[in-house]
Amino acid sequence: MAKEKAPKGIKGWAQGRSLWMLHFCTGCGAIEMPPTMTSRYDMERFGITPMATPRQADLLLITGYLTVKTLKRVVRSYEQMPDPKYVIGFGSCTVNGGMYWDSYNTIKRLDLYIPVDLYIAGCMPRPEAIIDSFTELIKGIKEGRFDGWIRYRENIEFYKRNQAMVMDIRKWSLDTELAERIWNEVQEERKKRFERATVPHVYELAERIPEGLPK
Amino acid sequence: MSLEKEQKVVELVKASFEDAEAEVQRERRVKVRVKPNRVFPLVAYLKGHGFNHFVAISAVDWIKDGEIELVYHLWSYSEKVHVMIKTRIPRDNGSMPTLKPLFNQAETYERDIHEFFGVYFEGNEKLDREFILEDWDGPPPMRKDFDTRLFSAEFYDQEDLESEALRLKIQPYKGHLRK
Amino acid sequence: MNAIGIQIGWIIFMPILVIIMGLLYLGAARKITARVHNRYGPPIYQNIIDVIKLFSKKRATNHGVMFSLGPIMAFSGLLISLMFIPIGNKALLSFNGDIIVLLYLLVIAPLGMALGVGEGANPMGTIGIARALTLMLGYEVVLVISALSVMLYTGSASFMKIIEAQSGGVGHWFLWPLFLSALAMDMALQGVLGEKPFDQPIAPHEIASGPMVEFGGKYLGLLQLYHAVAIVVETGIMVNLFLGGGTLFWWFVKSFTVFFIALLINAVMPRFRIGQAFKFFWTYPAAISLLGLILVAILK
Repeated sequence: MAKEKAPKGIKGWAQGRSLWMLHFCTGCGAIEMPPTMTSRYDMERFGITPMATPRQADLLLITGYLTVKTLKRVVRSYEQMPDPKYVIGFGSCTVNGGMYWDSYNTIKRLDLYIPVDLYIAGCMPRPEAIIDSFTELIKGIKEGRFDGWIRYRENIEFYKRNQAMVMDIRKWSLDTELAERIWNEVQEERKKRFERATVPHVYELAERIPEGLPK
Repeated sequence: MSLEKEQKVVELVKASFEDAEAEVQRERRVKVRVKPNRVFPLVAYLKGHGFNHFVAISAVDWIKDGEIELVYHLWSYSEKVHVMIKTRIPRDNGSMPTLKPLFNQAETYERDIHEFFGVYFEGNEKLDREFILEDWDGPPPMRKDFDTRLFSAEFYDQEDLESEALRLKIQPYKGHLRK
Repeated sequence: MNAIGIQIGWIIFMPILVIIMGLLYLGAARKITARVHNRYGPPIYQNIIDVIKLFSKKRATNHGVMFSLGPIMAFSGLLISLMFIPIGNKALLSFNGDIIVLLYLLVIAPLGMALGVGEGANPMGTIGIARALTLMLGYEVVLVISALSVMLYTGSASFMKIIEAQSGGVGHWFLWPLFLSALAMDMALQGVLGEKPFDQPIAPHEIASGPMVEFGGKYLGLLQLYHAVAIVVETGIMVNLFLGGGTLFWWFVKSFTVFFIALLINAVMPRFRIGQAFKFFWTYPAAISLLGLILVAILK
């Protein structure tokens, strides 16, 4: 079977000029979307409109931190979207955990779990940054540079293993057989990590300040 | 500023509950300290005297004392006084009778505290159903001896995976940074 | 022989023309709404790009045979109804009673959607279809009574006869003698077009675009085309009954004007609840259209 490629030419142009967006508003990033949509910055001039369901959407915009519970919904929404599909990680929380870097239930790097095409750094990024990333995405799609869904399908084991490391993937994955197998494979590693991670420890006040910072 | 109405509430509590330590904290705040088995009758008594808004239950982990403190917040619309009923239960295998027969909304707060602090509420049937934490089989995460930083580092840092991602070339697109 | 050739050419050309015009209407609708909201708005051909994109999607979720047949049934039902509605004074099929056939055919499309959505088994879709059928029950009464008063006035149930009766300039349009009926039909048209305040079936913020919730890719592309044709057909009824038809150019100008009025109301209105919408249709527009019918019956 020939390797699937990102659409180019008229298809790529149409895809780039008509991005329908599913904004998954998990954190405080949601507040940056109304000015981007309404008269001040007006993203509809690029053909980008918000859509209500993943079935109709091409672009998954994740605005904010992702708890494990939310990540489950995000992956599920992502798998329901029709190809070609694109993901934008929005804000520091999706890049490296942001201010939730030591939380027990917040993931740090989004692109270990689903393929991310573009990151917008900042806490919070301004609407100008969002518009800038949209124009970059449109340009890249026209040239066929973004191929997240192909990466996801080719490296499905890698992504599923990472997902299984932090949550139960059996009930909702599209490929239930694969999910079941990988879930069984990672159990041993999960148990080991769990034992290491749940050693009781009470922090003293001085200890709570991360290393490298002035005490 | 006179604290007459607050003093009245303190006397109201002391009239029926001699073992309760009630005091006025400040304007519109009354603090009551009781034994765990007296919480239910005290809340029932106060409900009968106009304290009909059950605000919340909160919990504090006093790890050095080996105790968990539960705080029941009540508010009276007629008196405009906020009563905090504090009680301490042992940290290990501590349990409390549920307040569900008095206030239905107590059920939700009890489920929340059960998940995050590991306190058992007798008589709350929905306690075993998962509420906020999904697929969680670790210790209650809000206890002081739960090392959240260690847990985060073990499960979400995954430096080995990042090198694997580099090898598979599945990094996000970075071309626009070079301009 | 030449006449048959023109007829065949028209059969092929007309649906394409209507689809492109409908898509441009939708694009213009987005642009005009954006200008009302003080935004720049997308280009006017945006919906054509959308349709190209939707049809170039490789995969789309399918839930069964009826799921794929539903949009096809809706779209083809509408294409058949194109044969009965004169566009630019040319009707493919014209006989006494074609108005009634057209009103009947307009019901097929929502039913086709209902069948397709039922297979998808999404509760949002089911709610949307229930709302669409309830709304249809509301506006259909007004629509039929208004059409009936026109039929009573001319003594004919054929579009071509009615257009002929209106020929001879603006002063001969039925808009003037049958003003009440025209007003009621314009109110009903707001519901037929699904513009605010009557967009309950596809309320994106409440029920996630309702009937379309499970459709993606090619199916959604088909539904976009359906929507585009539906707008031309539905405004076309108003143009033919009250605004005197006209040549191809003037026909589309009139049809867009009717759509434009609905659009301006859409841009500034919130949404009714479905019960309120139903109640609205069966009170004021129904009363106005009945009054119009009675006046026609008395004065005739």
